Amino acid sequence: MAAYTGLLKRPVSPTGVWSWLTTIDHKRIGLLYGVTALTMFFIAGIEAVIMRLQLSSSDQTLVSPEIYNQLFTMHGTTMVFMVIMPMGAAFFNYLIPLMIGARDVAFPRLNAFSFWMFLFGTLLMHASFLTMSAPAMGWFAYAPLTSLEYSPTNGVDYWVLGLQVLGIASMAAAFNFVVTIINLRAPGLTLMRMPVFAWMTLIISFLLIFAFPVITIALTLLQFDRWVGTNFYNAAAGADPLLWQHLFWVFGHPEVYILILPAMGIVSDILPTFTRKPLFGYPAVVFAGVAIAFMGFGVWSHHMFTTGMGAWANGVFSFATMLIAIPTGIKVFNWLGTLWGGAIQFKTPLLFSIGFISMFTLGGLSGVMHAIVPVDTQQQDTYFIVAHFHYVLFGGSLFGLMAGIYYWFPKMTGRMLSEGIGKLNFWLMLIGFNMTFFPMHIVGVLGMPRRIYTYGADQGWDSINMFMTIGAFVIVASFLAFMVNVIRSLQSGDPAGDNPWKAATLEWSISSPPPHYNFVEIPTITSRYPLWEKDHSVGAAQAHGHDDGGHAVHMPDPSYWPIVLSAGITMLAGGLLIWKWHQILGFTVISTFGLLALYATYRWAFEPVNEPNSEEPHQ
Amino acid sequence: MGIPPSTGLKVQRNMTHRKFLRGPVMVGLLLLLVAVLSACTNPQTTFSPKSDTAQSIQTLYLLVIVMASIVMVGFFGVLGFALFRFRDRPGRIASQTHGNTKLEIIWTLLPVAVLIIIGAPALIAVAGSAKAPDEDALHINVVGHQWWFEVQYPGMGPEDPNNPGERLPLITANEVHLPVGKQIYVTLESVDVIHSFWIPQLIGKTDMIPGHPNELQTFTPQEVGVFYGQCAEFCGTAHSHMRFRAVVESLGDFNEWAVALQTPPADPASELAAAGQTLFLAKGCAACHTIYGMPGAAGKMGPNLTLLGDRRTIGAGIVDNTDENLRQWISNLQEIKPGALHMPSFGLLPAENPQHMSDAEIRAVSAFLRGMALN
Repeated sequence: MAAYTGLLKRPVSPTGVWSWLTTIDHKRIGLLYGVTALTMFFIAGIEAVIMRLQLSSSDQTLVSPEIYNQLFTMHGTTMVFMVIMPMGAAFFNYLIPLMIGARDVAFPRLNAFSFWMFLFGTLLMHASFLTMSAPAMGWFAYAPLTSLEYSPTNGVDYWVLGLQVLGIASMAAAFNFVVTIINLRAPGLTLMRMPVFAWMTLIISFLLIFAFPVITIALTLLQFDRWVGTNFYNAAAGADPLLWQHLFWVFGHPEVYILILPAMGIVSDILPTFTRKPLFGYPAVVFAGVAIAFMGFGVWSHHMFTTGMGAWANGVFSFATMLIAIPTGIKVFNWLGTLWGGAIQFKTPLLFSIGFISMFTLGGLSGVMHAIVPVDTQQQDTYFIVAHFHYVLFGGSLFGLMAGIYYWFPKMTGRMLSEGIGKLNFWLMLIGFNMTFFPMHIVGVLGMPRRIYTYGADQGWDSINMFMTIGAFVIVASFLAFMVNVIRSLQSGDPAGDNPWKAATLEWSISSPPPHYNFVEIPTITSRYPLWEKDHSVGAAQAHGHDDGGHAVHMPDPSYWPIVLSAGITMLAGGLLIWKWHQILGFTVISTFGLLALYATYRWAFEPVNEPNSEEPHQ
Repeated sequence: MGIPPSTGLKVQRNMTHRKFLRGPVMVGLLLLLVAVLSACTNPQTTFSPKSDTAQSIQTLYLLVIVMASIVMVGFFGVLGFALFRFRDRPGRIASQTHGNTKLEIIWTLLPVAVLIIIGAPALIAVAGSAKAPDEDALHINVVGHQWWFEVQYPGMGPEDPNNPGERLPLITANEVHLPVGKQIYVTLESVDVIHSFWIPQLIGKTDMIPGHPNELQTFTPQEVGVFYGQCAEFCGTAHSHMRFRAVVESLGDFNEWAVALQTPPADPASELAAAGQTLFLAKGCAACHTIYGMPGAAGKMGPNLTLLGDRRTIGAGIVDNTDENLRQWISNLQEIKPGALHMPSFGLLPAENPQHMSDAEIRAVSAFLRGMALN
């Protein structure tokens, strides 16, 4: 029977709560990411709807300015760090090993650790709502508004520490997936044969590795300012508050590509399936992704054209920003090229993909407008900008991620989503999205600034805002359709079979949902679209392999230590918060959980892959 | 023409035909756009320029909109055509193409061409924005406060008592007076957090950053009128209520205003206003507010209130300057501007607090403040 490891019995049961808390299976971790992200999406959506209600007419008093400021701060922070990023993570956790023919990621326990850090960071930041002091300085947190003098409540502290914890999660995941994609590809799966989604995952992993340390440093300096009274961002002591803006956007702009590239990868893999032809210009699409990521580090100051950087800096960053339009254009043209000459099947994943391409292109066009510095001085910090980034992040990223959900849901659950409700979901979302966000261009041109909780009737923005608020409810309706579709499918959806879309990539060669060991026999790959090869050798190998039920496959046992370690680290951050209120208590918490984290690290390091004498866990 | 028709020519003719159509349609749409977005119903619009600089920004803006619209129409045209033409139907077989190098090169260069068309004038404009102000430009220094604008005219105020012969800046608040036809050079500062100074019809925004003085690109107002301005960088609780007006007037009116502002005011016209003046000192208002020429009223924490009766608005551009609004402001400013700092709600203070004001007292103070007017 199972051996004892200290106090806790190592869980080997394949079902039950403990199996989820201790799982190191990339597919389960992917689902955990997905469910958490959708939950946070629900919360951020409620925040958005309250804001839209408040803005539906002039001089509304539904919420106070304090609450409104908390709402837009948390909506932005949540959507970026706790919805779109983890939704991307859900897909790359679930899919990358399946796409590259591996049985798991390179470091399965580190993968579990990433998820728990993400979840605990999310909980830590949202705990601020319990003390009625959610952060209220905007997701960009410009100094010196974040200083103790101008933000005396704990909101900024929760935000800083929450992001630090989330940052650890992202860094761990990024290293994990770089190693996985470089080392664990099946024989014959050269880099240039990988699905584009795998490429984009590799690229954003590098983006994370290079971008996150910058925000970590910026946040650490802010922590010092707030906890021990240093003056990194204190203008009164001679600092230049623009330091924060530079650090924030050196991270923040690559972050934008971290948010959009997974969706580009998803769409690049969906289009071939529903056009029945290979991706047009695969190398161009891949290298355009690399180019976008690389150039993304050289354009951060286009967020700062109104900060008085001077003509030289403005000119250079304007030029660099316009250059990004070139690789972006290459991607869009190649997607059009993929549609061209195809036999296009208008299934829901394809509809969302087309929604992505068209809405993202609109967002790209307004993005080029912001690159024109004089024009940007009229657009910066108005609703025109809000329109722009919702076109790239909602019309872009979220439409792409929705396409991914509709496409891979059958693989993940073994059941099909309804096409009828799916199409309803798509059209409601497309119409609601454009009703809500297109008029923002107009109201921005009419001079409506961002981040205002109310406006006067004299501004003439009333009717347009009412229209946008109605649009927001159409979006809500589209998500109700989505929820109905998911619940209905889980209860009584049609069985999916291995490959319901007749797709070409490796994940469709195994059963839906896949067995916990993924592949009985690691396949050998000879092309970009292995399942479209004439002999279907890859599928055949799997079918043949199913016979022995995977008994020959050796998989590691679940582990407690990832969740324990992440709880320990998160509580170090929690201790810092408590320390501000009660130093001795805070110190006690920090030392207790510091020791726990150390202990967990030690146990993790010496934990065997499988407990001796334990039975193999099976699904 | 003697040349026999060829497919090449036909394509060309089609193109010119389409371009020919596109021109008037575009111009029509743009005119419609400009009409809809003009200042009649939307005083804060960015699309009704009333200064040379705002005008040149809009020219560039329209160019970018035209280019973006052309790309958009082309993109949706191709997308729509492809979706219809290549939809799956019985017997349709997808062509198994993997790519086309020639096409890749073409659509790499295509955006380059578009970018040159909009990028070149944009970069030229950026280079031009660095021009130093004219010798005789009017210099204005605007200081951001949570949540109002302090407007200083250097060298135009009263004589500096500590420095005879030198003149202090002339100071007012939340209303920027500008002479029409004169070049304006604005420098920007902040005493607390980052704000942003923006008068959409006159000039694009530039941030006001503590410890980091900034300047606006120079501009020359071209039309007399009152224009809306608003803080455009999130600056805390009452950010939404940090607005101001730009008053563009003739040079004569401007000079008259600048002189009147620092001329000791005549005694209050009514008994009520005289009582208000006494209360203004007694209730501590003067500790934070300056009124030029009034002994004892030299506070610097709040806006300078000289000639308040002439201002269009109160509370940093948020409500009309009426007796009712001003009385409510004094009585309970949090009702009008939630989160406003420093100033007590005098009417809500407990009666035993020496600063408490009764309705009658508030009426008097309002009469005094609104009585200070040039017109």
